[in-house]
Amino acid sequence: MENKKRENIFRKLARWAVRGFMGAKYEDKWFGSKQAGGADNSRPDDSELIVSPARQIFNRFCERKVAIFAVFVVVLMLLVVFIGPYFMPKYYDAFTETTQMDLPPTMSLMSVPGEMKTDGIRTIDSYSSFTVGVSNTGKFHLWGITRLGATGLNVADIPQEVLDKKIAFAAAGQDHIIAIAEDGSFYGWGSNRFGQFARDKVVLENPNLVPVPEIVANGELDVNHIKKVTCGFQASAILMDDGTLYIWGNKQAYSNLERFAATYDEATGEYDYMTGIVDIDFTLNFVCAINQNQNSVFTGVKNMYSAVRTSLTNNKTIKMSEFLNGRKIQEIRTTSKNICLLLDDGTIGFTGDFEADIVDVPQLEADEKFVDIQSGTYHYTGITNKGNVYCFGGDHYYQTKVPTKVKNAAKVYAGSFQSYAADENGKLIDAWGLKGYIFGTDSRGADIFQRVIAGGKITMTVGIVAVIIEIILGVSLGLLAGYFGGWVDMLIMRVAEVFSSIPFLPFVLILSTLTLRWNMTVYERLYMIMAIIGVLRWPGFCYITRAQILVARESEYVTAAQSMGVKETRIAFKHILPNVISVILVDMTLAFASSLQTETTLSFLGFGVMEPQPSWGNMLTRASNATAAINFWWQWVFTAFILVLTAVCINTIGDTLRDVIDPKSSNDK
Amino acid sequence: MGRYILKRLVYMVLVFILLTFVLYSFYQLMPVNRAYQDAKNDVSTMKRLTEEEKKHKFDELYEMYQRKYGTDVPEVWKRYLRWLGVYPNYYGEYKGLLTGDVGYSYDHRMDVIKLVGPYIRNSFLIGLFTQIAVLGVTIPLGIKCAVKKNSRFDHGVQIFSLFGYSTPSFITYIIFIVLFCSILKIFPVSGMKTAGTNYTGMKAVLDTLWHIALPTICLIYSNLAGTTRICRASMIDALSLDCIRTARAKGLTEKSVIYSHAWRNAIIPMVSIIVGSFFATISGAMILETMFGFKGMGLLMLNAARNADYDLIMFLEVMYTFLGLFSNLVIDLTYGLVDPRVRISK
Repeated sequence: MENKKRENIFRKLARWAVRGFMGAKYEDKWFGSKQAGGADNSRPDDSELIVSPARQIFNRFCERKVAIFAVFVVVLMLLVVFIGPYFMPKYYDAFTETTQMDLPPTMSLMSVPGEMKTDGIRTIDSYSSFTVGVSNTGKFHLWGITRLGATGLNVADIPQEVLDKKIAFAAAGQDHIIAIAEDGSFYGWGSNRFGQFARDKVVLENPNLVPVPEIVANGELDVNHIKKVTCGFQASAILMDDGTLYIWGNKQAYSNLERFAATYDEATGEYDYMTGIVDIDFTLNFVCAINQNQNSVFTGVKNMYSAVRTSLTNNKTIKMSEFLNGRKIQEIRTTSKNICLLLDDGTIGFTGDFEADIVDVPQLEADEKFVDIQSGTYHYTGITNKGNVYCFGGDHYYQTKVPTKVKNAAKVYAGSFQSYAADENGKLIDAWGLKGYIFGTDSRGADIFQRVIAGGKITMTVGIVAVIIEIILGVSLGLLAGYFGGWVDMLIMRVAEVFSSIPFLPFVLILSTLTLRWNMTVYERLYMIMAIIGVLRWPGFCYITRAQILVARESEYVTAAQSMGVKETRIAFKHILPNVISVILVDMTLAFASSLQTETTLSFLGFGVMEPQPSWGNMLTRASNATAAINFWWQWVFTAFILVLTAVCINTIGDTLRDVIDPKSSNDK
Repeated sequence: MGRYILKRLVYMVLVFILLTFVLYSFYQLMPVNRAYQDAKNDVSTMKRLTEEEKKHKFDELYEMYQRKYGTDVPEVWKRYLRWLGVYPNYYGEYKGLLTGDVGYSYDHRMDVIKLVGPYIRNSFLIGLFTQIAVLGVTIPLGIKCAVKKNSRFDHGVQIFSLFGYSTPSFITYIIFIVLFCSILKIFPVSGMKTAGTNYTGMKAVLDTLWHIALPTICLIYSNLAGTTRICRASMIDALSLDCIRTARAKGLTEKSVIYSHAWRNAIIPMVSIIVGSFFATISGAMILETMFGFKGMGLLMLNAARNADYDLIMFLEVMYTFLGLFSNLVIDLTYGLVDPRVRISK
């Protein structure tokens, strides 16, 4: 008695918890001796033998190591797909990025070669997945993903002369690289489909292309007077100190390219190049330049960039002339959509279109001003006269987060989604931005890893809800049929038979085709798929429940309950249902696996979840083409592996549950 | 037995009518109007008519076609009966499913009934071939696993079949295609014959065999897992029966115990699976046919669904429903064949 009084409420709760979860044996072991004082033997030793059936099943399940592992994997998978999306706030379904399409798994997008780090950086440039760099010793370097999709081209096939000679300038476009050696010779490699670097017959005859100027191709440029070499999507430009502009590339990618290109004078047989250009750069669709007036962005299209804003996040714009107020535009830097203007007094302004996910320019101190700005595909990296580095602009890949290590920098460089900072000797301080993709990217340039998580959420949700619909319909109808028998049974069984003789896949195709024509929203469509799978599959649960009920109905405890006058519904739900639940549990697991398969199959065929909404099924669609399946192996291998792993684990759980629940199967073990 | 079959047949017809009526109602929801389409086509071929005349002519033709196709009445049930071919249309003709008039495929530009023949034959051939191969492999495998339960061989097969039936079939096909067509380059990727050739006789047969080899292997593989599992499970159940113990006690050889006593008990639960999967393969392995470009019912159905070729969809649906119901009937009858108890009680 004395001992019992001492037991406080927490101890009591703990003891109950131990009894509840681990059995009376452990309760005795851990709490028994104190509670019972000296009389250890007062409780019989066989207390462990008395276990409820549920506990027995649980214990036997725990003995199966493989099944425990499977549970672990499935729980992990569920956690990842349902909690994971909260950790990727920048993910959205319709994301498209033309410069990042079909990239294999890599983490090398930002790995500057060691040799370049020691030699010092002269220049770094990048447009898509590969980055070119020239070291202070004039050595050419290349890193990132160099294979160009399925074209069979690889920009890593660098001409031997480029490696041998000292390079002065190098720039990278979407699928080509140009380099100019210190002796003036011009090199280009990669894709030449749109006349990116070579003057061959096809290029010269194509009216949509502006071929490389002869003077550039023949290597007759004076390297010491080149001001800037830059590449756009499928176009390139070389700007000389005297304002002469050499520009070439695909007119379909840059509609105003022709405005800048040289005109051929038939009378003299000479080319007339554009002159008087101070700075030039490419956005995604336009060539932008500063002419010698330095008071506007010249595109050849009137008033395109006439509204300027000083903040990236604030929509307030002012007119270009008001903003300049007598000052002059020194340089322009362009991202895909907008332009950064650097004025002669160090102020900066922006013009163009602005995406939503954007980081604003920081407020500088009074005596601090930007001395240089570099631009990537969406972001800007600026350096001030105090050596501080600031990043702003598009932030989808977190490319504007400058590491704290970067201090007292002398020069900054921007890749497509990366930034590099160097000190006054050109030594790399640090690089930051997009490192790569562990699962690669898909045909729209989206990160497959993120899509696997987001797609998993949809696939799992569809699977779970479909199974819940199946269970609710099947079990309740099975209960009714099994318990009441007679005409109710007859009716329900006939309906179930009709449902189970519906050819599943063809019927779903029809329903899906119908819903396509009804202009549903993506979510309505998702509910529709869940409902279709659930409603067509319920007879399975109905048969099982009914069969179990027929067995249970004849048992003594039900007869006893009936004779005591317990209400029929209460008998059905309180006395019989618990006995059929274990069997339903097994089938639920297996049905979940099969509805995962159904959803993925439907989506794979293009009748389930529709692009751009991801699902594990429609992410594999591209693999139905044998060539694509080999060339873009990463686009299906990872997703397929995760899908199969999940299904295997769920099935293992189901099989093990069936084994441990069925007393017959355990006897002959 | 005769009465039982008759009962099942009547039931089958009822369910068939019910299902096709539901399908027909769905069909009515679709934005399709054959009469409108035909009338429009006809009017567009007529030249030298003013707008007014065209409109007048169109109305005339539209009404004519509506009457011809039996859609001139608003009631769905009347249209359905006409579609079945048991209710006369405006001209007093019986034209419908039962008379073999099931519409026109706008996509293939021919009558549906003429179109589907070769496709069904292809599906049937590959289905039959596959099913025989599957049974030939799985039954001995399942029996061996059941007899040598928990042996290393059994565990190996168990793991293999777990992966087999957990993997959605299209992933299996992708892996097979990549492995055999792209890496090993043993089989052609798709089609039924080598393009640009015109083989005859033995060569043509061999060429076709070469082309359908991989689809067949894929089908066999994806059916293997499920059937082996079921065969093993029912064989294990059968081996634990009392009659087996008795047979062994009598001193019968192990071979006769397994193949004569246990097997006859094990086959009963397997019947529905075997027959069911047989009909499933015949009615077209839709995904397989899509991926291999194999001209079977499944591919036809899928393309019809993609191109909204409604008459064709409707007819194929009817075919699928019929095959499904027919397979149920065959399952019930086969039960009677393999299970003496069913034979006696019915």
